[in-house]
Amino acid sequence: MTTTDNAVEENAVEEGAAAKPSSSDVTTPTERSFPDPYEIETPEGAEGWEDMYAYHNRFLPSRQAEDSAKTWFRNSLHYPEVSYPFDQVTIDGAFTGTGVTNTRVFALPPAKGLDVRVINGYTYMSTIASPDADEQARRAEEFGKRAGYYFQNWDALYAEWEGRVTTAIRAVRDIEVPPLSEFESLERVTEDRGPTQANQLLVAYHRLLEHGDQIWTLHSEFLNLGYAAYLQFLTLCKEHFPEIDDQTISRMVSGVDVLLFRPDDELRALARRAEELGVGELVIAATTEAELLSNLADSEAGQTWLSALDVSKDPWFSFSYGSGMYHSHRSWIDDLRLPIQAIGDYIHRLRGGDDLTRPIDKLQKERDELVTHYRSLLDEEDLPAFNETLALSRTVFPYVENHNFYIEHWFLTNFWNKAREFSSLMQKWGFWNDVEDIFFLRRAEVEEAIVDLQMAWSAGGNPQGGHHWPAIITRRKQIYEALSNWNPPPALGPVPGEVNEPLTIMLWGITPETVERWLTAQDGGGSRTQLTGFAGSPGIAEGRARVVLRPDQLDTVQDGEILVSPVTSPSWTPVFGRIRASVSDIGGIMCHAAIVSREYGLPAVVGTGFGTTTIKTGQLIRVDGNAGTVTILDEPTGV
Amino acid sequence: MGKYTRKFTELNRHDRPLVGGKCASLGEMVQAGLPVPDGFAVTVDAYEDYRDASNLRQELLRIVLGADAQNHASLQQAHNESVALILGSELPAAIEQEIRTAYLALSRETATRRGTDDADRIPVAVRSSATDEDGDAASFAGQQETYLWVVGADDVIDKVRECWASLYTPQAIAYRSELSVADASEASKISVAVQLMATADVAGVTFTVSPRTGDRSVIAINASWGLGQSVVSGEVTPDEYWLNKLGPTLTTTRIASKAHEYVPAPGGTGVLFRDVEVERRDIACLTEAEVLQLAEIALRVEKHYGCPQDIEWALEHHADGTAKVMLLQSRPETNWKKRKEEKSKNTTKGTANLLGFVAAATKGDN
Repeated sequence: MTTTDNAVEENAVEEGAAAKPSSSDVTTPTERSFPDPYEIETPEGAEGWEDMYAYHNRFLPSRQAEDSAKTWFRNSLHYPEVSYPFDQVTIDGAFTGTGVTNTRVFALPPAKGLDVRVINGYTYMSTIASPDADEQARRAEEFGKRAGYYFQNWDALYAEWEGRVTTAIRAVRDIEVPPLSEFESLERVTEDRGPTQANQLLVAYHRLLEHGDQIWTLHSEFLNLGYAAYLQFLTLCKEHFPEIDDQTISRMVSGVDVLLFRPDDELRALARRAEELGVGELVIAATTEAELLSNLADSEAGQTWLSALDVSKDPWFSFSYGSGMYHSHRSWIDDLRLPIQAIGDYIHRLRGGDDLTRPIDKLQKERDELVTHYRSLLDEEDLPAFNETLALSRTVFPYVENHNFYIEHWFLTNFWNKAREFSSLMQKWGFWNDVEDIFFLRRAEVEEAIVDLQMAWSAGGNPQGGHHWPAIITRRKQIYEALSNWNPPPALGPVPGEVNEPLTIMLWGITPETVERWLTAQDGGGSRTQLTGFAGSPGIAEGRARVVLRPDQLDTVQDGEILVSPVTSPSWTPVFGRIRASVSDIGGIMCHAAIVSREYGLPAVVGTGFGTTTIKTGQLIRVDGNAGTVTILDEPTGV
Repeated sequence: MGKYTRKFTELNRHDRPLVGGKCASLGEMVQAGLPVPDGFAVTVDAYEDYRDASNLRQELLRIVLGADAQNHASLQQAHNESVALILGSELPAAIEQEIRTAYLALSRETATRRGTDDADRIPVAVRSSATDEDGDAASFAGQQETYLWVVGADDVIDKVRECWASLYTPQAIAYRSELSVADASEASKISVAVQLMATADVAGVTFTVSPRTGDRSVIAINASWGLGQSVVSGEVTPDEYWLNKLGPTLTTTRIASKAHEYVPAPGGTGVLFRDVEVERRDIACLTEAEVLQLAEIALRVEKHYGCPQDIEWALEHHADGTAKVMLLQSRPETNWKKRKEEKSKNTTKGTANLLGFVAAATKGDN
């Protein structure tokens, strides 16, 4: 090792001496690396950010030798924004869930879980070293029994899983936050003599955390098995058709009736219903829920429509505006403006002669034709393997496609809102002024605050919280702002020697090519006017860019613009009716932007890495969904 | 037609021993209703009878077997002697007459169809048509000669003889001098294709399998201005059009700077290599509709032969803006089979390892 490294360095020096290095020669390959996590500076105004995150998620000084030697990839797919202190529950929970499932439940032979660190508020992860051959063999024996059981009983286990998830969602929704009434009930004295509200408050909070943690084991239960089964089919397709793109392969497998489309279908149905009931005009006239209620409550038809709306809401409006992983994303049910606007758009489209039905039969037929086509290109001897792996992929896919609605949307909508119930109670007791403030406390800090409240309420005094938390929360809000303006690098630490762990590649889109692209961009190379990503949906479109960094900026999107975002959420689907193309920084094989774009016939380029930091709102850009490129046609302004 | 010539319309793939691979393939394409310029084959028998009638056979064999394959001067001398013999000996009247009649029939028929008055002087391409199976040996054996824009029966006959003579390049002599007498004799059988010139303004090659990866779901079209040699010979970097067979749909277009082209010489015979005007160099030489038309025809050719093809074509634009595609030749593309054997090479060890475990689990081998 050492000898080789020296030889390379000597060569580099000799070359440097022989020819005067031009600027591009200054960085020789051996020197290239991502920033060392221990040399990352705190952005101005964010001093003290470390207090917002639990020690177990931070780079600790005494572990520098170990942690600096590893490559850390930024997880911008699930955590694109700065994490809030309380919202770390989705970091801790998700990595626990995927880790325990891989490592301890199924004993996936070649891969374990991931280490997690937060720096300047952004989440990074690093793979735990692969097991050695002996350990792999031991794990393989277990994996065969465990994964085999799942593969062979998939449909029954999936049906049972849906029941368990729904139960968990209801359980969170039904957690009772004790009202802290003036007196304990008389029944407590005469009948049950159980725990008091003081004790129940903490128990209820623990129950919230318990469900918040456990849901991630449910999330991961089938996920890697599903991806592994899909990877079989993907690999086989790529062996036979080296130039086939990932989207074509997933189209052969994916269902046409996916839960993530259901909320949008509900909006279409509500638009139709409004027209049938003759209340379309009243719906169009409303922009908020209050207006909707006042417009419609007076008539019988209006009442009928409102009850149809209520039926659709549960559960289909528990649909996050973002990834769901942040409390701040909120869901349709919390803010009806987007659904109301979308229903209005759909009413206009109905009047324009569009019947608004999703072409399920046509999509089904296209999917069948696609499979028939690729089968016809295969030799007879290759057909059985193709058919078998396709069939298994289709068995596992409903879970792969639908788990996201259950967990990230339905469950987390209920989870964040239950946390707000606790916050309301504490707000009443003077802890803070705003219900959203609770999210600036870490989970352990919330527990401390609850103990404070339970002591004060029990004694009949006043809690300390109002004298402690407001200053901390105010400071943390400033820090949060400062961190939000920081530009996190895509990776930290040394350049990885080899990226070949297939699930990493498939789930995170991290390939040797992406690593190379990051390095080039970091070193100031690469084109400033052209971005490369994955061809998500075919076609070419030109238009003005609209950069949308957060869900609350969605209403700025104008007709005919090109949406440029870090990552799109399924709940943005209604906006796709307005745009001409979409570009995202992040995108794996099951990327939502690509699926919806194809459905709408819009060109899409996903996984560009730097779309939102390179493109400015208002710039004219060309999206080539065939080649996977985005070209900036305007000179950047103000540069 | 007679013993020495056969119209393409009378041929199919089984006629390879009689008319060589190229003519058999053209006949097969005509039979399949594919757009191939009309023409005829000068059969293997024509050359065989010529060699016998003029007593050339023994003489040529002596020259070939007597050449020293390691000695350049010796090969060059053998080449000169053989060519002089073939071009200088008298062609039996029966053979000459049959070629002449076949050409004039083709020429007059075409002039009538086109409504032109050059009834006896319609330009044709004259090319060797090798009889061996895979075509690999043909290049060694000098059976790949092509003459374009040949006009009039006399010139056609001359060029047929030059195709015959092209069996005796120094390289071909070196190749055959190391074979047995029987094999050398077999490797010196030759047929010639005489085919109407496509007056193409764009030409190129279509592969019904990806030449870069062997992917059978892909069609690749290379095209450039003028006649097809510029693409086939590699003298010009052609435009590339990549399609998915499903549809077919155009997936990628790469426009090259096409600085040169071959065009028919002004005198009506031969071709000219010239610069392309600046304004035409960097624009696409095919419209999307033309690309799709070429792809659809290519799929028909592939379907007809049942395996991936490498197709040479030419495109003739009419005054009304429409374009007519003509197929000049189609050969099986054999590389994809080799690719298939090494297909798993792109699957990383990590993936193969994981999939091994998954396959075992799904099959319940535990």
